[in-house]
Amino acid sequence: MDHSEGGSSIGQLLALGAILILMGYWRRTSSFMRHAFAANTILMAAGFVLVGYQLVGFAVA
Amino acid sequence: MFNAQRPNLDDLPTNRQLIRATLVAAISASALLVAVILPSEYGVDPTGAGRALGLTQMGEIKVQLAEETAQNAAADAVAAQAPALAKVEQAAGGSVQPVAAPPKVPLASEADGRTDTTRLTLAPGEGAEVKFKASKGARVVFNWSVEGGHVNYDTHADAPGISYHGYGKGRASTGEQGDLVAAFDGSHGWFWRNRSGAPVTIMLRTEGAYSEIKRVV
Repeated sequence: MDHSEGGSSIGQLLALGAILILMGYWRRTSSFMRHAFAANTILMAAGFVLVGYQLVGFAVA
Repeated sequence: MFNAQRPNLDDLPTNRQLIRATLVAAISASALLVAVILPSEYGVDPTGAGRALGLTQMGEIKVQLAEETAQNAAADAVAAQAPALAKVEQAAGGSVQPVAAPPKVPLASEADGRTDTTRLTLAPGEGAEVKFKASKGARVVFNWSVEGGHVNYDTHADAPGISYHGYGKGRASTGEQGDLVAAFDGSHGWFWRNRSGAPVTIMLRTEGAYSEIKRVV
């Protein structure tokens, strides 16, 4: 993916660290359960899209 | 590691909500796939929505480019095998004579300069490439124009060991002019693809210190 393996690993560590902090704050909000439910539904939809994209690609090729 | 409070059971979504969310996700994913992603990736457009949005054309271009890449790869594989076969045959024949290097084009004829007009017609979606051979630093003045539509172009060069060197490219052009200074000894030229709806005719005029100009694709 990246030009250097080490560079992309450090980048991942930094990004995930920042995400962890932000999600900690997110969880403390009163609307967290509602938002988390919506976010999971969107992630599921994205997963279904990728599955369909790959399966149709396999069928077309 | 335990760093989260266990959620209260009453706060969790019910089975009904979970199933509903899954169905909503699956249905919206199918709609998105059929209307947007399949047309723009594979040119597969069962509903016609992709063509209305201009996405099916994008998918068809992708499919066409993939086919051309596969064809080129197959042709390259055949070309790579041919010299190897020749060598084997030669060895079997007992001849030890090395293959004569192709005679180098004398520099004098290049320095003299020449003028050519190349004309070609492209059907919609068709591509073509015209290349001339020139030595490093050679200057070629060019002027090409398109009749009947517009083309996408990519001006570039290659040589043994250099697969691509770009001089510039553009879209929906009806003609370009300028001078091209060869970056190295090799083949330099233009790739065009007709992205208009009708056949086009390209007229290319070249003038300068090069040898041999011809259509390669």
